[in-house]
Amino acid sequence: MIVLAVDLLAPDAGLIIWVGITFLALLLLLKKFAWGPILSAMTTREETIHESLSQAERALAEAKQLQSDNSKARREAEVQSQAILREARDEAERIRTEEVDKTRVQIKQLQDSAQAEIEREKENALNSLRNEVADLAIRAAEKILRENLDADRQKKIVDNFLSDLSKN
Amino acid sequence: MMIKRASIFFLLALLALMAIPPFALASDSGETEDFDALHHSANAYYLDFSPFGDIELPRFFVVQHADGGYSLELFRSTTSAIRNGHFTVEIAAADHGAEASEDSTSASSTEVLEEVGDAHNTAGEVTRAELEGHLLAPNGSHVVLDLSISRHLFFAWLSMLLILFLMTRMARMYKRGIGRVTAPKGLFQNFFETIIMFVRDEIARPNLGAKTDKYLPYLLTAFFFILVSNFLGLVPYGATATSSLMITTVLAVFTFVITQMGGTKDYWGHIFWPPGVPGFVKPILIPVEVMGIITKPIALAIRLFANMTAGHLVILSLIGFIFSFAKMFGPGVGYAVAPISVAFALFVYFLEILVSIIQAYVFTMLSALFISMAIQEHDHAHDDTHHGEHVSDHSETVGA
Amino acid sequence: MDPSALAYLGAGIGAGLVALGAGLGIGLAAGPAMEATARQPESTGDIRTTMIIAAALIEGVALFGLVICIILVAK
Repeated sequence: MIVLAVDLLAPDAGLIIWVGITFLALLLLLKKFAWGPILSAMTTREETIHESLSQAERALAEAKQLQSDNSKARREAEVQSQAILREARDEAERIRTEEVDKTRVQIKQLQDSAQAEIEREKENALNSLRNEVADLAIRAAEKILRENLDADRQKKIVDNFLSDLSKN
Repeated sequence: MMIKRASIFFLLALLALMAIPPFALASDSGETEDFDALHHSANAYYLDFSPFGDIELPRFFVVQHADGGYSLELFRSTTSAIRNGHFTVEIAAADHGAEASEDSTSASSTEVLEEVGDAHNTAGEVTRAELEGHLLAPNGSHVVLDLSISRHLFFAWLSMLLILFLMTRMARMYKRGIGRVTAPKGLFQNFFETIIMFVRDEIARPNLGAKTDKYLPYLLTAFFFILVSNFLGLVPYGATATSSLMITTVLAVFTFVITQMGGTKDYWGHIFWPPGVPGFVKPILIPVEVMGIITKPIALAIRLFANMTAGHLVILSLIGFIFSFAKMFGPGVGYAVAPISVAFALFVYFLEILVSIIQAYVFTMLSALFISMAIQEHDHAHDDTHHGEHVSDHSETVGA
Repeated sequence: MDPSALAYLGAGIGAGLVALGAGLGIGLAAGPAMEATARQPESTGDIRTTMIIAAALIEGVALFGLVICIILVAK
């Protein structure tokens, strides 16, 4: 028992020196050949993952932005197209009514001018008729006067004249 | 209820009998080969492959001769040193004979067996006790430095080689591009990467912060060395390098040196001129702080050593119950006790696996903590004048 | 009485007291730590780390005592 306890705690310079030297060597060797590459690789990978994650996040945000932009643009386009449509319809309506009005006015004008023409023509016709009648009456009176006429004959002459007139 | 009470009684009986094995074995000392737990844990100069025999380890000595000259003497084994080098074995008295154990003076507590060397020239058998003892140089010269390869050193080197092999293999995988940008491949890489990540993210980073990269190689090396050494002790025919106080001391010295090298002005200021305390307290506080620097690594060394030694001693004591019971009450009782002993030993063995991991963690964790205390820079220069009673809590002696 | 017997006795009692103290100390640390873990499961990691450090420090004191006991036996 006695020896053993001493053995467990006994100083051993040789062991300390050996372990000290070899542990230092282990530390340096591992630092150079193992921990360096391993840790740097792990850091690299972490950075890559981090990078790609943030990239994905950015891309997602971008896509979302794009989507919202798109929908906004579409909405705007819709609004615009509706506005254009409405405008076009209004314009068409306006043009139509304008046309109609114009046509109506034209028709009216045409009507008016036609009426006036008719009127004038009628007037002319009446005038010419009146002149003719007057002429005829004068000629009839001339004939009557010339042939000495009795009432019958007079009457017959007027009838003839009139029938001639109607034939004209 | 009855069963429970009986089992408690039995447990108590077992615990009470725990003290018996050493005495029971000591009474038998010298006649047969002892079953001795402490011997198994202690350092020695052979590898124990019983029942197939032992392998003796080489012995190297720096010897100072009678005329004052130094020389390096190398032997293939202890046997060779005794036979060819005429070395003698210094065997402590109590180990060799009960008659000498009564002596309590230091001069006679160890007995140099001069005749051993000569005896072996003819007989040729070297006992275990001789393999465990220190060798004395012949002819008036004496051993200045015993650089022999001991069992603990052998296993320390084995674990170092193992780590070197495993970790360079790991590094090669990363160099080849596996795991650099892709996921790590295979059990090997994943397993060790998890441990490395654990050390980095759970031990180093919370304590060291931005300076993690500077101290991480040491922490990783210490962690793996302790872990592998602890596990090698749990392998059959293995020995625990970390159950040697010398080896744990070396590790603690590394932590100590690294801690002091990284010490900032704040750190030294806190030790030699603690801020924020009244002047008359300073003479008391400064020695306490200085002691704190030294006790921290000492505690580190002793904690690891005691934990790793204790576990093995408990296992071996539990196994030893079988033999001491057999000796005291006959072989039948020994056989009856065996299953219980083995079950308990198995339980302790599992506990030891846990302790192996926890101690590696604790050592690394505390190393990181001590280093972080030393490298901390804090801006409380204005603090001191305003809060005179404010004693910075982190520089309190961690008295363990 | 044999003085070495007293040394053994002292070492044994010392080891017992050391174990007692360490057990009490670690128990006092671990109990509240568990309570804290139950209350705030999200900070389990931090609590465990702190608890292990505290336990290790307490254990360190106990091991000092234990080493003194071993030295006492060895004397």
